[in-house]
Amino acid sequence: MNNNLSGEIMKKKYLRICIVIVIAILAVIFTEFDAFLYKDPIIKVENIKTLEKSKNTDQYKNTDTQVTQRVTGRFLNTAKRGQKISLKNTYYRSQLTDQKYRVGQQVMLTKTGKHYSINDVKRDTVLVFTIGLVMVLLFCMQFSRGKLLTSVLLNLVVYYGFMKMLINTHNSILLLMTVITALLISGIALIVILGPTSDALMAYSSTVISTTVSILLSVLLLNLSNNSGVHMELTDFGLQPYFSVFISQVIFSVLGVILDETMDISSSLIEMKKEISDVSEKTLFKSGINIGRELIGPLINILLFIVIAEHLNVVLLYLSNGNSINYTFEMTLSLGLAQLLISGIGIVLTVPITSFIASKVITRRTV
Amino acid sequence: MLYLLGAFVILLLLVAGSRGLSLLFGLGINIISIVALLILIADGFNVLITTAIVSVIILIVAIFMNVENPSTANIAFKTSLLIMVVIVLITIPIEYWASAQGMGVEDQEELEGFSLAAGVSFPQLAVAIIVVNSLGVISETSVAITSGLNEIVENKPTLTPTEVFNDGFSVGNRILSTQTNTLLFNFFATTFPLFFLIHSLNDNVGEIINDKLVVAEVITMLICAIGVILTVPITSYLVYRRVKNKSSKERI
Repeated sequence: MNNNLSGEIMKKKYLRICIVIVIAILAVIFTEFDAFLYKDPIIKVENIKTLEKSKNTDQYKNTDTQVTQRVTGRFLNTAKRGQKISLKNTYYRSQLTDQKYRVGQQVMLTKTGKHYSINDVKRDTVLVFTIGLVMVLLFCMQFSRGKLLTSVLLNLVVYYGFMKMLINTHNSILLLMTVITALLISGIALIVILGPTSDALMAYSSTVISTTVSILLSVLLLNLSNNSGVHMELTDFGLQPYFSVFISQVIFSVLGVILDETMDISSSLIEMKKEISDVSEKTLFKSGINIGRELIGPLINILLFIVIAEHLNVVLLYLSNGNSINYTFEMTLSLGLAQLLISGIGIVLTVPITSFIASKVITRRTV
Repeated sequence: MLYLLGAFVILLLLVAGSRGLSLLFGLGINIISIVALLILIADGFNVLITTAIVSVIILIVAIFMNVENPSTANIAFKTSLLIMVVIVLITIPIEYWASAQGMGVEDQEELEGFSLAAGVSFPQLAVAIIVVNSLGVISETSVAITSGLNEIVENKPTLTPTEVFNDGFSVGNRILSTQTNTLLFNFFATTFPLFFLIHSLNDNVGEIINDKLVVAEVITMLICAIGVILTVPITSYLVYRRVKNKSSKERI
């Protein structure tokens, strides 16, 4: 009986995995043939011929090879569907901003008048493939996917709304929008993970208070030092107003980590109260600090590598253009470093704030 | 900046006490390793090999300096190494397929006045970016799952492989959710200026989902998520093997 039941469950599980794999494969195949959905002309590359190669060394002693290739392909959409076209493409072998094209790739073109020029690679297939890979892996394992996917989807919807609002208001109320969005996405994340409980409310208030205090403190410190050493004008893509963009990025970036931290500390303290029902407020606070202490290092590490990875391209561009290490780091990483320091202050402050709130709330509970 | 640094150090020492000093030391080593990586790549060393070596050093520092229990540290280190290898193996074909290296039209302003013939392989650097991005997330996840699982396993007398895996997933669920949030919110942080700019360049949906920088960010987030997902079964397997070895030795 028992064997039969588990056999049935296993069968269902395999069936579900198969369905997800089939859907993923179908989606990938669909994007391979979705050129008809695009307004821009798309070609599939059938032949590549290298016309010219020239090795040159620039004034900074970087040796790079410039290659000119003839890209021949067939139109996949528009009125010219099925016809052949040949285009020239020039790229450096290092491919910083340009692109080497290969046979089999689908390439988007731009049409100006009667003239076609190469625009970019069509990347939707690989995008869908990677999403499919994540889904298949999730379904192969016993994670509670429902909660996870709901929270990701809801957060993406909120983010979409945030982007819409930003665009509609021409980025004029960015900080206000960021604060509202941050309140929403952290709330959604907590409710989905912990359920609509008083524990979630406790973690939520700790998260909000910690983030607010650390951001305000950091802004105060930045103002005191007149932003010295922080090149606000170097925010990504030079989007204005610089200061709001920077602070918004810091808030989004640190929020996930602080959420993680508050949940860890408060749930450990709740466990402790369950085991020792007459535990004192002071003991709870102290153990909160002890637990939090161990979390600080790894959490700062997470952000450190995410922030540095983001800037690798531009750092190498600066270095290869003969800039000194000092100048390069000042121009590329100083903003990231300021972001990390503010995040670090947030991560550290979260420990006493969460421990304080959790120990107060938990000791006042009867059970 | 100095004020921020000062505030950070003072708060860290106040809250974490003497532990704060070793934390600062670990952070210092990590930053030096990354700077060394950048300089070596700019000097023309092979991007992938240099990244691999520096990543191993970073993982050693991140795991062995932060974890006191040697068996937890050992398993967490093995897991992170395995995950790194898997991430490299997945990333290389996906990045080759996506051709999402380097910088995009959106960076035009920043690129002005630069010689673009950099002599550095940006397709390889794209792989390195994903690996570096995942270092912190992977080491944290593997440590958290290993220590959670070890605690459960040590309090149980008998264990079947299914049980260890089930426990692994119940510990892993929470960690997967929180890491997904961290990755997702960081994705929001980097992409909102990008989306805003793309919109002002008057792009349509078709161009957004094929845009080099957007695709690069999405792929980075997804591959890090794959790393987190795979940490759970690998850790469970390693913990199970350790327990089995221990109990078979005891029997003899």
